[in-house]
Amino acid sequence: MANETQVQSLSANNFEQCLKCSICTVYCPVSAVTPSYPGPKQAGPDGERYRLKNKEFFNEALKLCLNCKRCEVACPSNVHIGDIIQAARIKYSTHSPSLRDRMLANTDFVGTMASPFAPIANPVLKLKPVKAILHGVMAIDKHRTFPDYSRVKFESWFKKHAQASQDQYAKHVSYFHGCYANYNYPKLGQDLVKVLNAVGYGVHLLEKEKCCGVALIANGMPNQARRQGEVNMRSMRKAIAQGHPIVTTSSTCTFTMRDEYEHLLGIDNHDVRDSISLATRFLYQLIERGEIQLAFRDDYHKRVAYHSACHMERMGWVPFSTRLLRMIPGVDFVMLDSQCCGISGTYGFKKENYERSQAIGSTLFQNIAEENPDCVATDCETCKWQIEMSTGVPVENPISIIADALDVEETKKLNC
Amino acid sequence: MKFDAIIMGGGLTGLTAGIALAQAGRDVAVVSNGQSTLHFNGGTLDLLGCDEAGNAVRNPLNAIDALSDNHPYKKVGDVKALAEKAQRLLDGAGIATEGNAEKNHWRLTPIGGMKPAWLSLKGMATIDDPDHLPWKSVAVVNIVNYLDFLSPFVAEALRERGVQVDVKEFTTPELDEARKSPSEMRATNIAKVVERQDLTQTVADAINYCLDKEYDMVLLPAVLGISSGERGDQLLQLIDTPAAFVATLPPSVPGVRMQTLLRKRFQQLGGTFIVGDQVTGGRFEGDKLKCVTTAKLEGSVLEAENFVLATGSFMSRGLVADYNHIYEPALGVDVDDNGLNRANWAALEVTDPQPYMETGVRTDEHLRCSKDGTTIANLYAAGSILSGHNGIKRVDASGVDMITALQVANNILNS
Ligand code: SF4
Ligand code: SF4
Repeated sequence: MANETQVQSLSANNFEQCLKCSICTVYCPVSAVTPSYPGPKQAGPDGERYRLKNKEFFNEALKLCLNCKRCEVACPSNVHIGDIIQAARIKYSTHSPSLRDRMLANTDFVGTMASPFAPIANPVLKLKPVKAILHGVMAIDKHRTFPDYSRVKFESWFKKHAQASQDQYAKHVSYFHGCYANYNYPKLGQDLVKVLNAVGYGVHLLEKEKCCGVALIANGMPNQARRQGEVNMRSMRKAIAQGHPIVTTSSTCTFTMRDEYEHLLGIDNHDVRDSISLATRFLYQLIERGEIQLAFRDDYHKRVAYHSACHMERMGWVPFSTRLLRMIPGVDFVMLDSQCCGISGTYGFKKENYERSQAIGSTLFQNIAEENPDCVATDCETCKWQIEMSTGVPVENPISIIADALDVEETKKLNC
Repeated sequence: MKFDAIIMGGGLTGLTAGIALAQAGRDVAVVSNGQSTLHFNGGTLDLLGCDEAGNAVRNPLNAIDALSDNHPYKKVGDVKALAEKAQRLLDGAGIATEGNAEKNHWRLTPIGGMKPAWLSLKGMATIDDPDHLPWKSVAVVNIVNYLDFLSPFVAEALRERGVQVDVKEFTTPELDEARKSPSEMRATNIAKVVERQDLTQTVADAINYCLDKEYDMVLLPAVLGISSGERGDQLLQLIDTPAAFVATLPPSVPGVRMQTLLRKRFQQLGGTFIVGDQVTGGRFEGDKLKCVTTAKLEGSVLEAENFVLATGSFMSRGLVADYNHIYEPALGVDVDDNGLNRANWAALEVTDPQPYMETGVRTDEHLRCSKDGTTIANLYAAGSILSGHNGIKRVDASGVDMITALQVANNILNS
């Protein structure tokens, strides 16, 4: 009875478990550079006690939180600090998203609009006067380079060049490509198809895929995020019913759909969650179970520095990617200190956040310069933009590195 | 996922064992449930500060001989050799220390106490003999409105020992800025501000400016140098009088530095550091642990030849007490509860020795755990999760962490 009371007195995000040890405050990238931000302990469990009494205690400064979850990873008492803060924003914030925030948040809408015009949109988005307008009118920082929009979306490429051949494989997955692979960097999706086909898996699109909604949550549009999430869950259920695991190549989309859907949006994803896996984890687990083997080219040599993206670290899946990369004989592997790169999705695109964003990332950029790698590997696409813009070092998803280093013919032989 | 060794716990104990094993060429993973209590460490390590009668110890090695048989040190072959090895290990990670196992020195606590210590990080204020302070005049210098360094307490403690003390304050515009949210003006945030904006010289100038006369010693809060000790060394050199650091309340910069540098060293040696995950159970076969599961690696298990349990004591949840029992939550190994029941876990006076502190995981002479009475041949325990010691009363916590970790690493390498 007594023990039950102990368990029952826990609220959703564990805030009663806070010991006030202050460890989380050491790892918050925002409070390190922005003293006006109350920091994870104060914004999270400490503030929550007050907010529960009176919503007047809600502080709009909480919008400065990157939702990087580094505080949660550091907390020895399993307090869901980041969730407490985001839930408070959803519940109490009276601030409504601006046109700029709506635009940044609607990654797939903007992508759909921009892709057909990529040859125009890319140079235009890079033009100084356009950047000045974005900076001045839209409050999108002029230092930012918009990720290029690809002329051919991944989905279009896939339908034209890959779809027909997928049924020949004995085993199958459905691929949630996310906005980035679709609109900006179809090569990532192509690399995944290449690797999975080589190990005997056919790749399929979901019946309907919507942006996971991470940017909508961050920009204060939880309702739209919830609607999109429901669409994704429906499509995934259908794929799972056909026996397809869901494979992804973005750590943030994966984390959002597995954890934030339930914790922040109240979407019931319990029957889908375990079937969603990042491609590196999916491959690693197949190798571990002896179901597939990879063969690598002899002439591949690269010094690869791995950057632990915040949500990757939060999922606890960094070892899947790093151990997979270390299997490649030609990779000289370096582990970078785990820290936030500062971009946090759309956060760093906003004019008011640009300097903060670069200040946060500065120690990471320095660490990369010291290690002098041929490329940085990371599982998150927004880290890619930020690191490439700030260091000039190319950044690749581990799947692209594997695709590059793979001896396709040899791998096919091993897996047929 | 297969490794040679898996260490549960990513604090001083886990990283010490991890580094020792990785140095010997083993493929090691450390699983850490959040960050460790090293974040509270004030930049000193203690081997044995008080004997069982409660008297301060001058020579820890001699006093260790006199400890009762259930103390973890009694399961260590050569404490002196391992103590030297520990110091070298720290040095290899970029953590320069002063002190040795044959002679304790004394350190100042953030609230003005004096405690025996074995090793102190270079730059920390230390005293050879607490009965004869080496200073006649001291300035205790704090940052304006910085709350985690209690300069009046430190000053009072020194005055009681006959030292002439002035309390001084300084600030800079950048530090004023860092005070915008008073709750966030923490040692580690100050360190980051100084580091990012390269303010060492500015801070030194401000300190020199507030010192209007000569002192034998200037004591400063330890708020510099998260990623290395260099910046702190620089600052001390830039100050006109001899100066040294005193630890602040947590989060403590020297402690965070130790954590950061040990982790870095471990990863440089090829170790895999898994943070923010938690061991949820293990599969035992006969007298062996085959693998452990974690909360987040769902679908994969961590397999290894050897395992080390270094998850710490109650604070780190290496040990848990519910209403009736004290237990080890990760693997359910046997616990020495010394026949205590809830009524006598705790002594009435807070400052009395607390019986629950001596509870912990039961180990054999090789520091191997047991489960349901069977010794598990490849599962070791080290650090504050071990039964038979009281880190607060004996002032032996970090020594037990490092020395038993190194002994366990030796036992694994020799098995
Ligand atoms: S780390 Fe966790 S327990 Fe410690 S203060 Fe932060 S939320 Fe509380
Ligand atoms: S989620 Fe990130 S930005 Fe937000 S409080 Fe935690 S550590 Fe700070």
